[in-house]
Amino acid sequence: MARAFCRTRVKRKTMLARDMTANGAGALTQNDALAVRGLRKVYQRPAVDGLDLTVRAGEFYALLGPNGAGKTTTLRMVSGLLRPDAGSIAIFGIDALKQPTAAKQITAWVSDEPMIYDKLTPLEYLAFVAGLWSIAPDAGERTARELLRWLELTPNADERCEGFSKGMRQKVALAGALVHDPRLIILDEPLTGLDAHAARLVKDVLLERVRQGCTVIMTTHILEVAERMAERIGVISQGKLIAEGTLDELRGKAGSKVGDTSLEDVFLTLVGSTQRRHDDRVE
Amino acid sequence: MTAATSPRSVLWLARQEGLISWRDLAYLMTAGGRWRMRSVVIWIVIVIVIMHAIAWGMVGRYAGMTLDAPPRQLVALTGSIGLGYFLMLSQSLEQVTRLFYGRGDLDLLKSSPVSLHKVLGLRVLSVAATTTAMTLFIAAPFIDVLVYRGGLHWLSGYGVAAASGLATTGVALALTAALFDLMGAKRTRLAAQVVAALIGSAFIIAIQVVAITSIGSMSQATFFQSDFAIAHAPPASSWAWIPARAILGDAVALVLVLAIGAALLIAPMLIFAARLGEYALAAATADGAPGAKDNAGPTAIFLGRFRKAGAGSLLRRKEWVLLLRDPWLASQSLMQLLYLIPPAIFLWRSYGNAQGALVVLAPVLTMAAGQLGGGLAWLAVSGEDAPDLIATAPVSERRVILAKIAAVLMAILAVFTPFLIALAGRSLTIAAVVLIGITLAAASSTLIQVWFRSQAKRRYFRRRQTSSRIATFAEAFSSVAWAGATAVAASPSWYAIGPAVIAVLVLFGTWMIRPK
Repeated sequence: MARAFCRTRVKRKTMLARDMTANGAGALTQNDALAVRGLRKVYQRPAVDGLDLTVRAGEFYALLGPNGAGKTTTLRMVSGLLRPDAGSIAIFGIDALKQPTAAKQITAWVSDEPMIYDKLTPLEYLAFVAGLWSIAPDAGERTARELLRWLELTPNADERCEGFSKGMRQKVALAGALVHDPRLIILDEPLTGLDAHAARLVKDVLLERVRQGCTVIMTTHILEVAERMAERIGVISQGKLIAEGTLDELRGKAGSKVGDTSLEDVFLTLVGSTQRRHDDRVE
Repeated sequence: MTAATSPRSVLWLARQEGLISWRDLAYLMTAGGRWRMRSVVIWIVIVIVIMHAIAWGMVGRYAGMTLDAPPRQLVALTGSIGLGYFLMLSQSLEQVTRLFYGRGDLDLLKSSPVSLHKVLGLRVLSVAATTTAMTLFIAAPFIDVLVYRGGLHWLSGYGVAAASGLATTGVALALTAALFDLMGAKRTRLAAQVVAALIGSAFIIAIQVVAITSIGSMSQATFFQSDFAIAHAPPASSWAWIPARAILGDAVALVLVLAIGAALLIAPMLIFAARLGEYALAAATADGAPGAKDNAGPTAIFLGRFRKAGAGSLLRRKEWVLLLRDPWLASQSLMQLLYLIPPAIFLWRSYGNAQGALVVLAPVLTMAAGQLGGGLAWLAVSGEDAPDLIATAPVSERRVILAKIAAVLMAILAVFTPFLIALAGRSLTIAAVVLIGITLAAASSTLIQVWFRSQAKRRYFRRRQTSSRIATFAEAFSSVAWAGATAVAASPSWYAIGPAVIAVLVLFGTWMIRPK
């Protein structure tokens, strides 16, 4: 069933790509799903400090960093939830600051704290989301039911979300993010608080989406997840991107031998050295 | 550390509870802002001065009352005590219910080796103390004015106020326990909140309804002074006058009132003490119960299933469904409409009379629309459950806000349409004026909520006033001004322009100081 669902979606994706190329839109021919330049956001201190970040179309990108490094602020700015103080954001070539509605049409956002409507059922929630993204009713309903089946929520499809566990709520939120077939999915700590089974389901859904050509950007503190799932990893500290690349490239930057060191060691080395440099400057 | 204040002792727990209560109070006073204590004190002093001024105007003329007061005055005094008592009981019932359902630190306490019924017992006492303190704070200006102008015998008013605080907490505990036993934990929270709201408004509404049907007036003050009330009042020897006699300085009556107040608190505490922990655990279990099925409910037609609809239409219908499916929120919002019962009865009784009688309804309906509009707008704008979803949807913020304003105004019009139709049957002009008045009042309150929006959980609806006092006052002032304008316009007179200009100025001033 899941395979049939995937085949349908790959076919739709291919058709969409062909249509857009034929129309001369050219968005899918660009390699960058996300291009962030000089992004800056200051609260009492700079949360994001002149960040440059590029994520290629169709890749699974993990954004790592210690608490307060600026990961969530960055992704919230990319999703249109926060206005940056400076810098530019382009999503598949669309200027997200000048054309926010067009950028949002192809983007989905999932946060660590699933915000859904307690008094709606999952199916009603998905109908609402599909409507907001102007998805054709037939296609929306078909996709919604497939997603609910895939995420094992069919038995709860007509129950109000108010009694749902954290994992079930997160799955509903994820279904909401996928029901409008986004080209870029941004997830902030989506696995926090999920049990092993729910976490596996969410990971499978995301990997499947990437296989279909979707781009996924995810922050996580579970380094093993980043290590297993991400094609490229960015490490952010004090609002700046301090390292980026595949796991082997990061190992090289951290001065470790290829295949020798875990991502956890690499991460701690990279973040630790940046912190030390920062402390030295402060002193 | 002494034995009495050693960890887990009653005093130690009481100290913790006191600290938490103080922090809650500080939060209520400062709305979570970083106010300096000096600013808070200045505000409290200003409020006290204003309250004394209001009290001077309201009760100053009664200062000469003594124990020999005529029945007319005893009826008025007893009526005022009854009104205050029911309002306090409403507050106490909400606070006692919150003790069992509030998650906060209750999970920590449940999982600790501290006796749960000891903690909850202390919290009931804390509610009694808070209610009593609040009652004394509100009653103090009136008693002070009466003492200043009438004599020291009025000081016993403080005793009656304190006794009322104790009694209402005890009765609230007994009511909550009865609801737990009768309806189960899942329904008790909603039932208690609805009962609390009903109790809070029932006394005023009942008096107004009796006043309309007996003497043809909506004024409680006029009713208490009326021959009808005097004729139907109990005899002078009745127990019903004991609270009034206690306030007037009858020492025996005061002791009796204090004893009854203490007994009404202590008796339910002794009876239900052992079961308080059970209620709290049952409440926690009810919280995790599965949600209701909604595949074919009456509200399903509002949201429907997958069908073609614009974003505005979707957003409007979503707001209505969320409100209709949340009985607590619906009851809290619509409870304000209970106050429309007396005008409705008045309208019905005055239907065949001159138009002058109908003019009285214009400000009542306009004021109600303004207040209801503010509440609904807060729910739609600040109480958005999924702000991230709405903010990341490909719909402009302007379109979202317009859809929410439309949702509120359409709901208001739906509620007031029966009144407008009834008015139109009698006078098309008055109906048109009231339609314009309620639309402007509701739109003004909605705009104020949009300007002062601040993300919050819907369950904090009752505390929405604390997030922005400016918005609360602006909402009240604009509603009053529009109500005045509607009343004058319905009379009819061009002088309505005066209050209308004031309403516009209130809106303009509020817009100028809105958070940017």
